[in-house]
Amino acid sequence: MREKTKTKFKFNSRDIQLSVMASFSLVFLLIFSYLPMMGIILAFKDGNKYLNIIMALGADWTLDNFKMLFTDSEFWQVFFNTLHINLLMLLINFPMPIIFALLINEVRNRFVRTTIQTVSNFPHFISWVVYGGIVLALTDANLGIVNPILEFLGLSTKENPIDLNLAQYFYPKLIIATIIKGVGWGSIVYVAAIAGIDQSLYEAAMIDGANRFQRAIHVTLPCIRSTILVFLLLNISRIMGNSFEQFYVFQTTANLSKTRVLATYMYTLGFTYRNYSTATALSLFEGIISLILLVSVNFVAKKTTGEGIY
Amino acid sequence: MKKKTNGGLVQKFNVFDVIIYVVLILFACLTLYPFIYTLAGSLNDAQDLMYGPIWFFPRQFTWASYKVELKDVWLYRSFLNTVLATGATLVGAMLLTSCVAYAMANRKLKGRKFYWYANLITMFINGGMIPSYMLIVLIGLYDSFWVYILPALYSVYNMIVLQNFFRSIDVSLYEAAVLDGANEFRIWLTIYLPISKPAIATVGLWIVVARWNAYMPTMLYTNKDKSIWLLQYYLMRLIREGEVPAIDSGYAGSVNATTLSFAAIIISSLPILLAYPFISRFFSKGIMVGSLKG
Repeated sequence: MREKTKTKFKFNSRDIQLSVMASFSLVFLLIFSYLPMMGIILAFKDGNKYLNIIMALGADWTLDNFKMLFTDSEFWQVFFNTLHINLLMLLINFPMPIIFALLINEVRNRFVRTTIQTVSNFPHFISWVVYGGIVLALTDANLGIVNPILEFLGLSTKENPIDLNLAQYFYPKLIIATIIKGVGWGSIVYVAAIAGIDQSLYEAAMIDGANRFQRAIHVTLPCIRSTILVFLLLNISRIMGNSFEQFYVFQTTANLSKTRVLATYMYTLGFTYRNYSTATALSLFEGIISLILLVSVNFVAKKTTGEGIY
Repeated sequence: MKKKTNGGLVQKFNVFDVIIYVVLILFACLTLYPFIYTLAGSLNDAQDLMYGPIWFFPRQFTWASYKVELKDVWLYRSFLNTVLATGATLVGAMLLTSCVAYAMANRKLKGRKFYWYANLITMFINGGMIPSYMLIVLIGLYDSFWVYILPALYSVYNMIVLQNFFRSIDVSLYEAAVLDGANEFRIWLTIYLPISKPAIATVGLWIVVARWNAYMPTMLYTNKDKSIWLLQYYLMRLIREGEVPAIDSGYAGSVNATTLSFAAIIISSLPILLAYPFISRFFSKGIMVGSLKG
């Protein structure tokens, strides 16, 4: 096992064992990741006319899929919906777990703290089908409880309840539901990061006369900066991606103009219309944007803060 | 309220704390309420439900929705399918992922850089929805139960998490095992796996949650033959499309798609609810591994 000899091509039995173990990943990735990457050529094939995807693979080369996509007004609606909803989520949903973690950190009673964390983590374990179904019921004009609350606040009337299933209420509904479902779980990493902060920093701040709010802003936040940065970068790079399962549950023909995002539109193109090539062109477009975003935000982060995700 | 000393300075319970407690407790109630609402609704008569929302307690109590749902063979079938798929994926994925992670954690692995980049690239570039579907058709997994298991057997992210954990294990343990003449497979299975329980449990939980909650595989990769439906797909068809099971005439008035979906939601959440005390204890202990850095 001496590294010094550096006979690169001489494998002892231990090297072989390790190589075999590591190459299991190659076998898997070759089939389930690299082979589908080759499927991207579908985007450059005239495959829409075939119902069988294997036959679509053998069609003629063309760039029409991209032309079709970019001249389609539906595509641009979907594109801007995706951008809009993800920017809103980045602005509103992203900071929430951090704020929640800061608040949780201020709770010194162990029992209260654990109870709040246990309760608020629970919805994470529930699927979006189920959670979306509950949200749809809660906001229903007849059997939901959101309308009575709005009535109480004077924002709606019993005779003329607001139909919260309309397209214009989709974003608030989605954002609030996502916050309630995900904040507890999302805060775990930040709580863990805060727990790792050197206590003497707080003592120094207290001697300097910093109150609790100032300590949270000037000690805690800077100390968990790199954790925040990693998640911020990942979120920015996912600005074109949404969870298909989350959006599909909320989708009805009435709110399609707002609920349509790239992920669900890809499904419609590929599986409802069987336009395999156009759908692949769409996913290639999404993938390229995400990759460019990831590389560039990581580059900027490395330049400005010296930290990045890779 | 117990006062805790922090670095010799006594912190009093002041108005700040009151505000924080109120905000957090309100939020906790907000996360809990949707489930109470669903439970109350599922136990209420369907016709009565039309007269207005149920807030906390059923107005007209009935077990009818549960009786109808629990008679539906497809609920049991999809439940069983999900348990099988989740169990098989968990065991397979844990073995495969930890095996690779074990090798990758060893800096003496020849060609480690190559394996590392071959893995990493797939995190940033992937074929997408249609090419993945094409692959599933091509390798004959379409409409097969294996489609729920095989594609989920390995994840680069989980491998990195486990690899980082394995790296934190004292090398002397490895060296002692090598002196004893144990081969790498043996060291991985009998030494590294048993002492990595926290990491294994964390990654295992991610795998289980992801598998248990997914309906997309059934939707995309099967012909929607009911016998291989997953539970979440069953729920999706019930909640979103209002596809209710056969209803006995005796219950016809007291159930509808809404109360049935409420009942199905509660029934399908029971396993999670039962497992939850174990899961949450595990997380509140602060056992949280994983970093994005490789």
